[in-house]
Amino acid sequence: MANKSSRRDFVKKSAALVAGTFVLPQIIPSTAFGMGRRIAPSDRIVIGSIGLGSQGTSNLNDFLKLKGPLQFVAVCDVDSKHLGNAKEIIDTANKNKDCRIYGDYREFLEKEKLDAVSIALPDHWHGLIYSAAANKGINVYGEKPICRTINDGKVIVNAVKKNNIIWQTGSWQRSLFNFRRGAELAINGRVGKIKYIEVGLPDGNRGIGTPPVMPVPPDLNWEMWLGPALKVPYRGVSHWDWRWILDYSGGQLTDWAGHHIDIANWGAGLEHTGPVEIAGAGVYPVDGIFNVPVEYDFLCKYANGIEMRVVNAARLPLGMGTTWHGDLGWVHVDRGDIITASDPKILAEVIGENEIHLYKSDNHWQNFVDCVKSKKPAIAPVEVAYRAISIALLGEIAMTTGQTIKWDPDKQEIIGNNRASHLLSRPYRQPWTLPTV
Amino acid sequence: MKKQYLLLIITAVILGLFSTCKNETSYKTLIITGQNNHNWQASSPILKQILDETGLFSSEIMITPKTRGDMKTFNPDFSKYRLVVLDYNGDSWSEKTNNAFVDYVKNGGGVVIYHAADNSFPAWKEYNEMTGLGGWGDRNQKSGPYVYYKNDQLVTDTSAGTGGTHGKRREFIVRTRITDHPITKGLPSRWLHGTDELYSLLRGPAKNMQILATAFADSAAGGGTMRDEPMLMTITYGKGRIFHTTMGHADEGGGPSMQCVGFITTLQRGAEWAVTGNVTQKVPWDFPSAAGVVLRPDFKEITMDQVLSNIGGYDIVKSTKNFTYLQQKIRSLAGDEQGLSDLEKSMVKVLSSKRTTVEAKKLLLRELSWMGSDYCVPVIKELESNVDLKDEAEFALARLKK
Repeated sequence: MANKSSRRDFVKKSAALVAGTFVLPQIIPSTAFGMGRRIAPSDRIVIGSIGLGSQGTSNLNDFLKLKGPLQFVAVCDVDSKHLGNAKEIIDTANKNKDCRIYGDYREFLEKEKLDAVSIALPDHWHGLIYSAAANKGINVYGEKPICRTINDGKVIVNAVKKNNIIWQTGSWQRSLFNFRRGAELAINGRVGKIKYIEVGLPDGNRGIGTPPVMPVPPDLNWEMWLGPALKVPYRGVSHWDWRWILDYSGGQLTDWAGHHIDIANWGAGLEHTGPVEIAGAGVYPVDGIFNVPVEYDFLCKYANGIEMRVVNAARLPLGMGTTWHGDLGWVHVDRGDIITASDPKILAEVIGENEIHLYKSDNHWQNFVDCVKSKKPAIAPVEVAYRAISIALLGEIAMTTGQTIKWDPDKQEIIGNNRASHLLSRPYRQPWTLPTV
Repeated sequence: MKKQYLLLIITAVILGLFSTCKNETSYKTLIITGQNNHNWQASSPILKQILDETGLFSSEIMITPKTRGDMKTFNPDFSKYRLVVLDYNGDSWSEKTNNAFVDYVKNGGGVVIYHAADNSFPAWKEYNEMTGLGGWGDRNQKSGPYVYYKNDQLVTDTSAGTGGTHGKRREFIVRTRITDHPITKGLPSRWLHGTDELYSLLRGPAKNMQILATAFADSAAGGGTMRDEPMLMTITYGKGRIFHTTMGHADEGGGPSMQCVGFITTLQRGAEWAVTGNVTQKVPWDFPSAAGVVLRPDFKEITMDQVLSNIGGYDIVKSTKNFTYLQQKIRSLAGDEQGLSDLEKSMVKVLSSKRTTVEAKKLLLRELSWMGSDYCVPVIKELESNVDLKDEAEFALARLKK
């Protein structure tokens, strides 16, 4: 194993040195500057990217904006158009033609000697590729939701922990001031004891009917796009619109769980646990291949008495975002720098020195890079991401079965319901197999 | 009048009389039609069918004289009926008939005002008090206020202007405003209605009236008022109860507006309430949500046997809705062991049939993969050797941990 990760070891060692003795950057010899972006090898983080559709490309650009030590060397995608586009972006940034391209992540992970990888794939691929990267000892920036099923999530969390890699989830709202401030007010009791949390997520997509089977575009490896999911003929739905099909996603609900549910957990101290009871109902399209719930509304009860309602925003007076309701008032946060409260005095509150100060990051991608160097946990670690998506996945199970689901957040098992328990996994199509937990 | 309609109506009347004889306990119902700016020849037999389908009503259709005909000959004996349904928008009735109708309602008779019936009789004061709100027929501020919801507030608007308009026909969301009324109890708060006219700017006396449901008249389809316009209303007049639905613009065969399960169900429930003040009917399992229109082309509630039989010949390109129904049924059973076990047996039967399409079997295997029990396992194991179904069979068995 040692022969293939010397550069990574070098980074680890130097990071340990930085952490221990606060070495200033100018101590590094200037003769060691790298090519193109002029990065000292001791500081260099060799990074690649898997999945370069809209979110993957967006992450790539966010990473390239950093004045940091990243060196993008390779990209992997099942669509050669995505590959061409990403290679051009990277080659332009590196001022060379060296970015390597791959159509198979196994070859990509095997051949490239990476310190880090940025991954943005449809959810049904997360279990396999996140755990494969972690098992190679590569630090991962991974898009939310981190898993399509609870079972996938357990495998991913285990792989990340076992390999002791740095993990950052793409839950970038954590790195914005208003979300951290709202969560900090909530967790420090500024709305009193938290009783109830409301999480408003986007309303779902309406159907498209069932488009006819059509030829797979020459750029797309459809078999590889499907991967472990059940085989279906190509109907023009792959990139982006996978979000509306249950084989690959749970819809807006699971897409946004890694944002507003994650923030809700952060401010309520629920990041490392889960609900004990989940019940609710969804509204499903009547006709067509888009089959994720277009409306949803479920209530999670926690052992400590807190209740969390997750619901499509149209049904809430405050709409999108997270609202912590305590016995003294409420605080609401949403995108667009929104932070409001039942009383403006709450927003003026100062958090004292001995109170809880939440992890502070002002740039989500920089935070990952910093943590890869420092070996400290990133702001959105893997288990926290798993707990956030678990809530949405359990809500999905409650809505699918029409039943109240009892959940053991410690054992992470559904209690006394075989049928619902079957829904904790989506078995993989051969030849793909998920590593056991 | 087209011959086939005449035949249909005669048959309907005969059947109606027959069923009246057969079922003494059902509420005798009179559907009045014969003049309308709408296709009453299509709508009236459908109204009859929808009502009689419940087993609660036995309806007769009575056809008035034609336009400018001799209205003196139109003298129904209202006292024979528990419910009068108006699918009529035409000439004034005789004063004697008007008085008899007012007496009928005052004394506790039930009435259903259907769609353009609220256009009728703009000058008949008592009638307009029964409909609550109406449109067209030169209605204006003298007819009474506009009543609607704006920003979730009930508005009574006395401003000047004509009554009645509608934009282009479209599907629209109906919102329940009063959720604890017997008619609306148990209905979803929002549901999508089949393509219909969205009656807007209705105005009238609005006395003793409750608006049960509204629809937002956006301007996208033209003629939009940007108000939440009343769709379903209840009115009391004397001892009588009136249910008013503005929906159900009739096409040949009813069309999506009348085939819509939302229209059918609210009509059935509204009619029962008009007779008794209560509703004993269950909300049907196929009632639509806001996600999609649900139609009953034959106006009958589809049974699970039919759904399963339809699934056997499943063609995904044509429609996925039978599978949606199946999933809806599974959800509605909410863990009921006996119900799920019975359903599993029916599903396995379809799965085993040689006539069932591969696509149907694939989808059945997906459902069985979680809601199935030991019962389905042997049949699924057999399918593992089928090239077309191997993946789905393995998926199901792995999930069932078999």
